[in-house]
Amino acid sequence: MSLVAGLIAIGAGIAVGFGAVGSGIGQGIAAGKAFEAMARQPEVRGTVQTFLIIALAFMETLTIYGLVIAFMLLGKM
Amino acid sequence: MFGSMAESTGILEGLLHPSLYVKTAWGVILFLAIVSFLGTRNMEKVPRGLQNILEMAVEGLYNFIGGIVGEKKAPKYFPFIATFFLFILISNYVGLLPFSGHEGPYIPPTSTISVTAALAIIVFFAIHVFGISEKGLGYFKHFITPFVFMLPLNILEQLVRPLSLSMRLYGNIYGHELVVGTFMGLVPMLIPVVFNLLGVLTGAIQAIVFTLLTSSYIGEAVHDEHH
Repeated sequence: MSLVAGLIAIGAGIAVGFGAVGSGIGQGIAAGKAFEAMARQPEVRGTVQTFLIIALAFMETLTIYGLVIAFMLLGKM
Repeated sequence: MFGSMAESTGILEGLLHPSLYVKTAWGVILFLAIVSFLGTRNMEKVPRGLQNILEMAVEGLYNFIGGIVGEKKAPKYFPFIATFFLFILISNYVGLLPFSGHEGPYIPPTSTISVTAALAIIVFFAIHVFGISEKGLGYFKHFITPFVFMLPLNILEQLVRPLSLSMRLYGNIYGHELVVGTFMGLVPMLIPVVFNLLGVLTGAIQAIVFTLLTSSYIGEAVHDEHH
């Protein structure tokens, strides 16, 4: 395999890898706070659940940006 | 990704030889039309069966969108936004059917950047057209409201919105297809089922997020400032 293909592979890996770090930490914190809120007040469970899912989708988007860059890179391989 | 865009470089070419994504999108439209037709003939005051399910869906969507756009504007923009939700939801779920894939008889339309970008571009133009139709040319004032130097930032934000909408939907659905396809080659026994269950969840979540953001942007464009 050529040097270019190797660099493309490394680039795609880094794109997804580093993209997932921040989003993983952020989603963990958000979920932790949501669980805390539900434990303190069980009747808000439905509302917190809905908002948690929506917030997780927003954070996931940043990882998806990295994934799309990886797709674009692999398409050029 | 851009390879599929390069394949159909002309509009005439695209009309004469529609891609599998376009044909599946037609199938989704046909499915939604047939379900709506079957649910709304012989309508009764107290709904039962399919009409009941459809009324639940319409009411749920109306409350969801009305909560974001505001009670007064909800009837005007609800059909437009709810159509996005239904189309995206059913398109995402095409990927969970058997035999779906790039060689099969159907493929989720939202698994290509072309379709998701088309949806996002429609939303982009809709936001500004709705804003101008509500407020006239005074709509453009909100770009320079707090300070004039906010203008480039606001324009940039407006341009980034369709980008993020399209990439979020495309990345989620195409990524799901890619992962399930990879695991079908590695461990075809149980893992793809688990990922398809996850696909049920993420398909619904991405449809909700797209609809939520669209209604939030439209609500921001058409709300009156005199509260």
